[in-house]
Amino acid sequence: MKAAQAIAVRLLARWETLLVVAIVGAGIWSTTLSPFFLQRANLLDLLTPYIFIGLMAFGLAFVVIAGEIDISIVSNMAASVVCFAQLYAAGVNVWLAALIGLGVATVLGLVNGALVSLLELPSLAITLGTLAAYSGLAYVILSGEGVASFPAGYSKIGGGYIGKELPIALLVVIALALVLGLVLHATRFGRYVFTIGSNREAARFSGIPVARVRMTVFAVSGLMAGFAGVVYVGYFGSARADAGTGSLLDVVTAVVLGGVDIFGGAGSMLGVFLALILVAELRNGMQLANIQGDTQDIVIGGLLLAAIIAGNLLRAVQGGRIRVGPLRLARREVVEHEATEAIIASKLAPENLKGR
Amino acid sequence: MSPSLRGITPQTLAAAVLRLREFGILLALGAAVAFFTIRAPNFDSVGNWQGIAQNVAIVIVVGVGETLVVLTRNIDLSVGSIVGLTAYLSAATFAHYSGAPLPVVALIAVAIGLCLGLANGLLVAVAKVPAIIATLATLAIYRGIDVQITGGGNITAYELPDRFLKLASTKPAGVPTLAWVAAGVAVVGAAAVRWAPWSRDLYAIGSNPEAARFAGIPVGRRVITAFALSGALAGLGGFLWASRFPTVDAVAAKGFELDVITAVVIGGVNVFGGSGTMLGVALGALLVATIQNGFTLLRISEFWRLFFNGFAIVVAVTIDALVTRRLQEALRRRRAEALAARHLEAGA
Repeated sequence: MKAAQAIAVRLLARWETLLVVAIVGAGIWSTTLSPFFLQRANLLDLLTPYIFIGLMAFGLAFVVIAGEIDISIVSNMAASVVCFAQLYAAGVNVWLAALIGLGVATVLGLVNGALVSLLELPSLAITLGTLAAYSGLAYVILSGEGVASFPAGYSKIGGGYIGKELPIALLVVIALALVLGLVLHATRFGRYVFTIGSNREAARFSGIPVARVRMTVFAVSGLMAGFAGVVYVGYFGSARADAGTGSLLDVVTAVVLGGVDIFGGAGSMLGVFLALILVAELRNGMQLANIQGDTQDIVIGGLLLAAIIAGNLLRAVQGGRIRVGPLRLARREVVEHEATEAIIASKLAPENLKGR
Repeated sequence: MSPSLRGITPQTLAAAVLRLREFGILLALGAAVAFFTIRAPNFDSVGNWQGIAQNVAIVIVVGVGETLVVLTRNIDLSVGSIVGLTAYLSAATFAHYSGAPLPVVALIAVAIGLCLGLANGLLVAVAKVPAIIATLATLAIYRGIDVQITGGGNITAYELPDRFLKLASTKPAGVPTLAWVAAGVAVVGAAAVRWAPWSRDLYAIGSNPEAARFAGIPVGRRVITAFALSGALAGLGGFLWASRFPTVDAVAAKGFELDVITAVVIGGVNVFGGSGTMLGVALGALLVATIQNGFTLLRISEFWRLFFNGFAIVVAVTIDALVTRRLQEALRRRRAEALAARHLEAGA
């Protein structure tokens, strides 16, 4: 009985549970606004306009869990979208061009990663710089005009449906969430990311290739910006240099609201996915309630602040002191313990012992 | 102890680096001016320099406030929205009460900015939200409020009284009024961070927040003050903005925060906090404005401007970090040598 109670309490105390409750609450609010909200087609289509935001949030989650931040992700998407579009306009096959776009995005992410991890620079300032630089690059490459005639076969990836109701983009986002969730939660690399986020020094001393993992994390963030760009072009059917401008707030909100510790070291892909649903639902609901985009931003911004403050309060209530200072001061005992075990296990793994 | 070690303290070494930094910006500025003078017709004319001075003025006013925040190892992204909001409110006040005295409206703008900055400060210092996230959120929230208030409309120059517009167009002693204001703000800011005890605390907090706390510095209160002042100066910036660009709508000063942060970072204010001077910030702003002006005269695409801004931030941060690291290593070596020398003396 006691065990059941403990499990129930732990389940209730989980951030993801709160998110599900919030999603249901926002759903009830939405149904009062429009009777069409609960129709299957509408529910399935809810996420479609926000898929590119979700993909960027997945990438950013890796960076934030590793104790860093990448605010250049939105202009990285714009730059890759524009490269992709220019290549396509120049006659390159659309899929090949999309693939090159992914490559460009990864390279731009790697540039951030190299500056941050090899030169040990602060990710906040660096990605603030590249936020402007990549955006400028996007404008320069596109030189003002947009490209807007993509083949129908391609556009399906962002705006197509299977059986008229199931959006292909939804399948894309679920598939990528599953893959990234596995990478984050079930691989050695994922454990390294958590460990570095909770305590970089300790990670270094335990033999984790810290520089390499941090670089990879930024590359993942870049790659996801590339995927976001691919879906963005498919959905909107056009490539513009200001693609994704203004979506930084939503991306960061999805990550933080998803329970990813802004100080690094904790978070889950499921949480980010649920937060994406909540953000999409709220935006959709506010649209139904005739609330304008910039006014919606007030609500989303407030939600972002509330999520962090709620997290801080939760920690304070749980007995831990509220942490102070900038990013990367976090310590999560549970995660650390798990991570240490993972390190020991990996050290003892036969393929690692062979080399010694 | 060898004579070469005598008299070199960490302070003098750091000061030397800062002077070197300001010298470096001056050098870059000189190079830029020389280049544009040769390449661009009209660059080296009084009229063009007055234009540059007008452009740089608001960046400096807001940059002084941003510097106070960055010194404490924080950042204020919301200044662009505060400038936009207060610019609209200032213009709207004049549009409704054309007889309103300038200082009163300026004070209102400053007060509104102060309140918005205070909110940032409370979020960071009391609610413990990281500055980048807190001000990213308020950047969106303040802009949203701006859109609410403007309701999609705008205010044009025709609705504003002449004496307000003259603020930007008059040039006492050949220098635009805006530039005089900016110089005043920069001088007061420089004097404050040089001599006011509370602002020395900002450096201490930025250098080492934990140590500052243990030294009895009221860290929270100082951080709140820095954000509030940043907001207040952004409010003043908004007031000046409305007189410089009198057609004000909801997108006024969108993205302006990047110009300000670029100037601050290029000006040598360390993003790790704890070091930087107002002279450096003013020079940094001037360098950015000069290069952008030269780009315009040479008809280089507007879009390169954005790229240049970002690139400059990355380069400045990289150089700063590398220099700081070298400096710290040198200091550590020196300390070790001094310690060893003292041990030898004691042994002998």
